[in-house]
Amino acid sequence: MNYPIWELYFLNSGTIVALIAVLHVFVSHFAVGGGVFLWLTDLKSFKEGNIALRNYVRRHIWFFLLLTMVFGGVSGVGIWFSIALSNPWATSVLIHTFVFAWAIEWVFFIVEIISLLIYYYKFDTLSDRDRLKIAFIYAVAAWLSLFVINGIITFMLTPGEWLKTGSFWDGFFNPTNLPSLFFRTAICIMFAGLFGFVTAVFEKNQILRQQLLKYCIKWLYVPVPFLFIFGFWYFYSIPENARFTNFILNKQTTNAVNVFIIASVLVYILALILVSKTSQLIQKIAVFVLLLIGLSWIGSFEYMREYARKPYVIYGYMYSSSVLVHDEERINKEGFLKLAKWSTIKEVTEENKLIAGKEIFNLQCLSCHTIRGIKNDIVEKTEGLTYWGILSQLYGQGKILDYMPKFIGNEKEMKALAEFIASLHNRKDDKLTEFKPLKENITIPSFNPEKDEYVLLVWSTLGEKCITDSDRWFSFLYPGSSFQAILIKRGKKPEILSEGIEIQYVVQKGYENPSRHSDFWKYSESLTGKKIAENTGVTGKTLKGVLDYNKDKKIFYVEGLPVLPYRDDGVFNPYPIFEAKAVDKKTGKLLQSTLFVAPVSTELRCFICHGGKPRWNGISGISDETAINILKIHDRNHGTKLLESALKGKPQMCQKCHEDFIVKSKGIKGHNSFSASMHGWHANYIPWKDEKACNFCHPNDAKGNTKCNRDIHAKLGIGCTQCHGKLDEHASSVLLSQQETTTAKLLLRNLKPETPLYDIKPRKPWIQQPDCLNCHVGFQKPKKNVRAFNKWTQDETELYRNRKDNSGKIPCTGCHSSPHATYPSFNEYGENRDNIQPIQYQGIPFPISSEMKCEVCHKVKMQGNYHHSNMFRSFRNKKTLRQ
Amino acid sequence: MNQIYLIPQSEPIPAPSEIFIFLEQLFFLIHIIIINSILGLSLIILYKWNKNQDFFDANKSIVKSIPILFAVGINMAIPALLFLQVVFGHLFYTSSILMGTFWILIIPFLIIAYYSSYFHYKKFGASNYAKLSLFLVILIIFYIAFMFVNNLSMMERPEEWISYFSNRKGTILLWNVSSIPPRFLHFIVASLAIGGIVYGVYFKKSSEEKLKEGLKIFAYATIIQIIIGFWFFLTLPENVIKKFIGKDIFATSVFLFGVVTAFLSVFFSLKGKLKLSLIFLTLTLVSMIINRYNLRVFHLSESFSVSQLKILPQWDVFAVFLVIFILGISVIIYMLKISFIKGKKG
Repeated sequence: MNYPIWELYFLNSGTIVALIAVLHVFVSHFAVGGGVFLWLTDLKSFKEGNIALRNYVRRHIWFFLLLTMVFGGVSGVGIWFSIALSNPWATSVLIHTFVFAWAIEWVFFIVEIISLLIYYYKFDTLSDRDRLKIAFIYAVAAWLSLFVINGIITFMLTPGEWLKTGSFWDGFFNPTNLPSLFFRTAICIMFAGLFGFVTAVFEKNQILRQQLLKYCIKWLYVPVPFLFIFGFWYFYSIPENARFTNFILNKQTTNAVNVFIIASVLVYILALILVSKTSQLIQKIAVFVLLLIGLSWIGSFEYMREYARKPYVIYGYMYSSSVLVHDEERINKEGFLKLAKWSTIKEVTEENKLIAGKEIFNLQCLSCHTIRGIKNDIVEKTEGLTYWGILSQLYGQGKILDYMPKFIGNEKEMKALAEFIASLHNRKDDKLTEFKPLKENITIPSFNPEKDEYVLLVWSTLGEKCITDSDRWFSFLYPGSSFQAILIKRGKKPEILSEGIEIQYVVQKGYENPSRHSDFWKYSESLTGKKIAENTGVTGKTLKGVLDYNKDKKIFYVEGLPVLPYRDDGVFNPYPIFEAKAVDKKTGKLLQSTLFVAPVSTELRCFICHGGKPRWNGISGISDETAINILKIHDRNHGTKLLESALKGKPQMCQKCHEDFIVKSKGIKGHNSFSASMHGWHANYIPWKDEKACNFCHPNDAKGNTKCNRDIHAKLGIGCTQCHGKLDEHASSVLLSQQETTTAKLLLRNLKPETPLYDIKPRKPWIQQPDCLNCHVGFQKPKKNVRAFNKWTQDETELYRNRKDNSGKIPCTGCHSSPHATYPSFNEYGENRDNIQPIQYQGIPFPISSEMKCEVCHKVKMQGNYHHSNMFRSFRNKKTLRQ
Repeated sequence: MNQIYLIPQSEPIPAPSEIFIFLEQLFFLIHIIIINSILGLSLIILYKWNKNQDFFDANKSIVKSIPILFAVGINMAIPALLFLQVVFGHLFYTSSILMGTFWILIIPFLIIAYYSSYFHYKKFGASNYAKLSLFLVILIIFYIAFMFVNNLSMMERPEEWISYFSNRKGTILLWNVSSIPPRFLHFIVASLAIGGIVYGVYFKKSSEEKLKEGLKIFAYATIIQIIIGFWFFLTLPENVIKKFIGKDIFATSVFLFGVVTAFLSVFFSLKGKLKLSLIFLTLTLVSMIINRYNLRVFHLSESFSVSQLKILPQWDVFAVFLVIFILGISVIIYMLKISFIKGKKG
């Protein structure tokens, strides 16, 4: 932001630096090791009186001079030129901090040049003694120049105490100086052998050639143990967080590590060809292949070293985007463009946002990213993401995967950059349109309070059963709705029946063929581990059948019904209706019948960020495009091969790795739970923290197709966050229960929950939830501004959906209905779709027996608060019905 | 946009600026003499090129020296550029970026020129491509010189930086600045002059005729150089010209001194007096180096002054540098001694 930008979008300046630098270091290590090699080989020829060896030395010097002095020398200047173009500010810091070190390095360089020129041009005229002296001086000067440059390079990775003292000596003799120096010295010796082959292999005399090759291979092999020892020393001298960030989190470094390991093995194996009995031609080919492998070896090493200091160019001092660490806060407050000297735009407006975004891209991104260029192409990196997705990437940048610097600037600037990057994709994101539910009336079943002897209550255990509906690619929630029921025999002392009766159910017409609308059955084997027949649930249940009886819980239930919100006639309705009948098993007599709603949603709006459109008729579900983008990102960030697996017809359940109580999966040890992963990851990326954030994934957006939070609470304006916490709070609570795994710590690191982290109580997803009584203390009216967040149920038995009344016989949900759909509920698909049973039995949509309607079950009026305290009263929020 | 606003903030410098300025000028002087010699000698050889064996035999030692001069010349550019960047780095990096594409091409071209000079030396008289490679050397030096002239001129003229806002591809050259052609030619013709005198020095002992020929080249080139210098002078902004003709006493004195010594060097070279020519040439060069620096300061007077730089001294490191510098020079002298003096004795 201090300097102009060299606007190269295809071959960016960072890549130019890398290209020059890799070639230079390849040669410059040879320049150092080769010096020692020449001196010792010349000494050997002198001591042995070996003229042939001396002739080889003479030839080698010529090659050495042409390669190291010409190419090595000028490419070294090339690095200097290129870094000043790519990152002038950092270059300026290096020059000003270490100008005398650079000057000292130059002294060694001029000594190198003069000694090498003398060594070559005076090789035959100098006495042996003087010639060897010159060779020795070259070797020492070359190593000393390595000594100096090493101090400066390592400073960039580990400036150590310099950050506090600003002292030259602290910066130069930094924590990785020595290990790096030793490691590089070993590389130099290794390369001396490697390049020694080049001249050796051209020796015409076969015996001498073999001798020379054997001699060179010793140089290659001798440093091996030192490379190991110093390599590990070097690696472990790098601060732990930098190691973790760049060797674990950054998959690009992983690629470099792999190249490094493979190249190491190949170099040492292939070199053996040279000492085996083969033709000179094969040896020549082998030498050049070896050089190429050597180049990739040193290239991958330098790549790792460079990347180890990400997101900084000078660790802890300056980001790779050329922003000083100590300026970050100020820039975030005042705006990046305002402080960027070379930006024509100082403030983002609606009119200039694309140009402003481009300016920011140039200043913060271009040094590492290209636009459709050869390295780190931003178009490819953001492929598939929408504007919102890109914006989220920018918001989350550098938080979890902190090898990239965080976005630095204000909110408008972040949006402008997202707009610019989105514009590079040459497509327009579809505007989110409001979904208009088709209202359908229901005929409420009849109930004769005078004659009917039975009350049948059936409800969904969940207020909304969610389904991923992306089964071809992955799944974390497959079809499988669960319901519970009780049959009450009316009377002064009502009886809950369990024997001699049967409760039958059947789905509404049009919903009987879910397999026509979903790929789940096609991929069920891969997803669940067993082949499931079409239109059947994972429990073997179908959409018409009989409820089972749970003796322990004393309740009728059915689990795993494959209900989908898609109807055969093309209508989308996430609230299909089931009919339930209680019959006498012996006589077949109908005791009571009712209807119940099966809330089921496929409204995961991943497409808002991950691109694509909803899968089913453009209304709901996850499309191929969206799913592929999600898998690609997961694969890229976590090193998985989920997309490849899906393309082979084997999509995976996310919970195969991520433990999840709701699908009874234990996952893989060391992985965060599914909830912790999803919430923890996305909380770092989604810029919003309120219900808007919840509604990206949970089906409750006002413009969405489900609107699941539809009960009295929602009507009164109580949203998700009041009970579950805002996104960062919610994510923190589940992350804190992960027993401090490294990844949980990583995900927590940048969250900013409104409730301080140290006050947030860990909770296990699905098991520990906010309880109704957190607000309704003693079943009373809640106090004003009370929140249910951060006080969790102890275990699953305390959950609302598992609790019973004081008698221990009637589940809370029997009278109040499912969570998020408690009576009275306000369903957009039909006024009383969720209130069927209270209307059927008592004519009002309030909880069963509210308004003191004890006669629903007791046939007569009763006194007192038998089932729970404060129940014997008039319903408090009647006015909501009129709204 | 105000040009002063565009000037990047600079880092504190580790010693008073005078030290770096002196070192920059010192190494630049050595560097430019060597590069002038390479170009001048190359031009002379190319001009005199014929397929006569005598030509190849006579000039072999000059040809041999060109790659060696390259090595030392490039090496001497390093401290000059290093010390320049300490004081003027923030300006220099900016100008380099504005012409980044042309600037970075210097590196591959220089490698080609360097290898060409070796090819030329090895194949001199033996290959038809030798002449071509020498031509390539000259062409590339022209390119590099032109880019350096542009970069240094752009560095000194922040008012030209606004071109960035219409061209960010790193291809800005100061075609519209009238001082660029004479400044560039000033280098080219200087090379001919220096090349001429070096040519004379080479043949000082072996050929009186060639010594005179060299001095003649030097004299005529210097006369042309004075004319070009005058042209260069006239293209400068008025306020700058005024400083050189009386407004700034020091600058005026150095300038006039240089002009006088230049004339004297021409006079003595035409008389065939090598030693005196060399002495006055040296004085002229020193004067021109100071003029060049004064010109930079005058150009920048409205935008930047070295007094703005904060100093955070590193005297201990500077002392280490001096010790190593002295040691390095001693080692070089020692090596040269055992290679040449002892060699000759042997």
